[in-house]
Amino acid sequence: MDYLELLDPTAERDAVARPLAERGRPIRRLALLDIRKPRGDVFLDELEALLRAESLDVHRTAKPTFTKPAPADLRREIAESCDAVIEALAD
Amino acid sequence: MSCGLQDVLELESLGTPAVLVATDAFAQAAARQTELLGAPDLRYRLVAHPIQDRTDEELRALARDVARALLDAVTT
Amino acid sequence: MELVALVKHDCPTCDQLLPALTAAAERGAPLRILSQSGERDTSEQAARVGVRAVPELDAGLAVSERLDPDAVPAVILLDGGAETGRVEGLQRDRLVALFAAAGATIDVAGLPALRPGCASVTRDPAVAGALAARRARAEGRIRSRVLRIGGLEDPVEALHDRGLTDGLPVVPPIPERVVAMLEHTSRDPQDVVGVLPPYGGGATVEKVAVNAVMAGCAGPELPIVLAAVEAVSREPFALHGLLATTHSSGPVIVVSGPYAAQAGMQAEVNALGQGCRATLCTGRALQLTVRNVGGGRPGIEDRATHGSPAKVGFCFAERLDAGAPFAGLAHDRAGLGADETGVTVFAGEAPRLVADQLAREPDELVASLAQGLEQVFSPRYRLGFDAMLVLGPEHGRVFREAGWTRSELQQALHLASHRPAGELVRGAGGIAEGLDPAWVTDPAFPVAKFAVPDRILIAYAGGDAGLFSMVIGGWASGEIGSAPQTANVEDWR
Repeated sequence: MDYLELLDPTAERDAVARPLAERGRPIRRLALLDIRKPRGDVFLDELEALLRAESLDVHRTAKPTFTKPAPADLRREIAESCDAVIEALAD
Repeated sequence: MSCGLQDVLELESLGTPAVLVATDAFAQAAARQTELLGAPDLRYRLVAHPIQDRTDEELRALARDVARALLDAVTT
Repeated sequence: MELVALVKHDCPTCDQLLPALTAAAERGAPLRILSQSGERDTSEQAARVGVRAVPELDAGLAVSERLDPDAVPAVILLDGGAETGRVEGLQRDRLVALFAAAGATIDVAGLPALRPGCASVTRDPAVAGALAARRARAEGRIRSRVLRIGGLEDPVEALHDRGLTDGLPVVPPIPERVVAMLEHTSRDPQDVVGVLPPYGGGATVEKVAVNAVMAGCAGPELPIVLAAVEAVSREPFALHGLLATTHSSGPVIVVSGPYAAQAGMQAEVNALGQGCRATLCTGRALQLTVRNVGGGRPGIEDRATHGSPAKVGFCFAERLDAGAPFAGLAHDRAGLGADETGVTVFAGEAPRLVADQLAREPDELVASLAQGLEQVFSPRYRLGFDAMLVLGPEHGRVFREAGWTRSELQQALHLASHRPAGELVRGAGGIAEGLDPAWVTDPAFPVAKFAVPDRILIAYAGGDAGLFSMVIGGWASGEIGSAPQTANVEDWR
């Protein structure tokens, strides 16, 4: 049987399974990461109030722009100082 | 939304449970992308689209409706 | 000492010489006779010319490729594997001498003194291409995985079905075409040009070449495509955001310099339109590379609300002839020499026409073009966007004759695109959009459209006739968005 051989134009990346962080540890301090799209701050203000009402410590922070992934330094800072993070609001 | 999923993926790799809030316009895209990133269980929660023309009170109501689910996403 | 003879079945000169060669071998000459033809054709030739011993087959044309004759019959003398003599075609006396040098004889009675041979099978372009591809794979110059399309499948449909196209048919990237494309750069095919979002795919020179073949590039465009891929993969260009946004924009490539024309690009009538293979295929090659290597596809990762025809690909060359008002965009931005060629990539929409059929003085024309620039995104949105103005020749002439520099034009356009705050505030003119009234203390205060004059990029292209320029609106600009990037094409030739 005749074949035609073509070269693959993709990066040939098979998705490597990425494991998630462990859950079940107590959350005491939570980061709220604003992606800096308009109106997201109103949403996050309310979330902050609700979380504080549950006696959680809240760290409000923001990335420089929604157009790029968060800088590595910011991610590291959040990981080192907080137990969990909520990122919002992508519309 | 796509940059947000990358952020959540990287934070999880650093050992920090994370969840992204996006609007339901991205439902299909988010499902597809988490699969392609190799993390089908990557956490995101959807709120009703659109956002830009909502009043402040409407946005606060969205936050109240989803708060419990967001906490669950980073604890379970 | 060894003699190797190469023949093929469809060559009358080979027919004529073959009996003499076979006889010499039977008498003990250290001679291998190899046929470039297939098994059946070789047997038929042997029967036709009346020899009993059928020549060996040159399997995979391996010996022919190594010895590389122009014509057959070819007899080559090897001493320990190294060539010390060769006769191509039938040259009676030289053949006798060659055999003698090997300590053997050949009976040439009845043969003509001279008869030309026929082209070696390795000179057939299709065969040469296949051999080059095989060699490239063996030498590690091409490493891409092979996609096999079954004999009953249409390759054009198969590529659509596998999600590897932009919706338009692509040229099937057979190894021969990719190897030929790679001839147009001196860079190593495995050099990484850039890492592409959203899935971090590594765009090697080889992968870009595969996509350039698919896009329909002829070959000389490759260094331009490579420069563009490198430029868009830089972090300040924010390609990830540009790809994923709901805004209908994509990478725009502006090619400035003499190599553009060498690559087949034209910058005159329809410079931004249809008809020019080099510009259209270059723009398309970049987008196909971003899509196939980066992994971002329309509807899934690419969320543009409408998109535009410009997202299939958008590349044009600048018209840098005697009538050009300024040096090339890339030359100004990156300090290139006039004999060098550069690409500038810009995150932009589809182009929008701006007309002014009456302005004769530079200031009047500036005022009119500035109005067109203010429309980018919405006149009510200020400071967050940049734009590219593609001056047409009839407009460019006004500034050239007045002796304006590019920088002077940018500053004039920047000033002329201010508008009083009162006209821009939310609710003004019955329009909900606009500046937050809390920020508007003085309604007469002139609010700039662009953050700084440099945010208005100026290029020059188009036909001689037509009092038009084109505005290409930008996406989110500056630190929070995409910054235009310039790269030197010479690095990729």
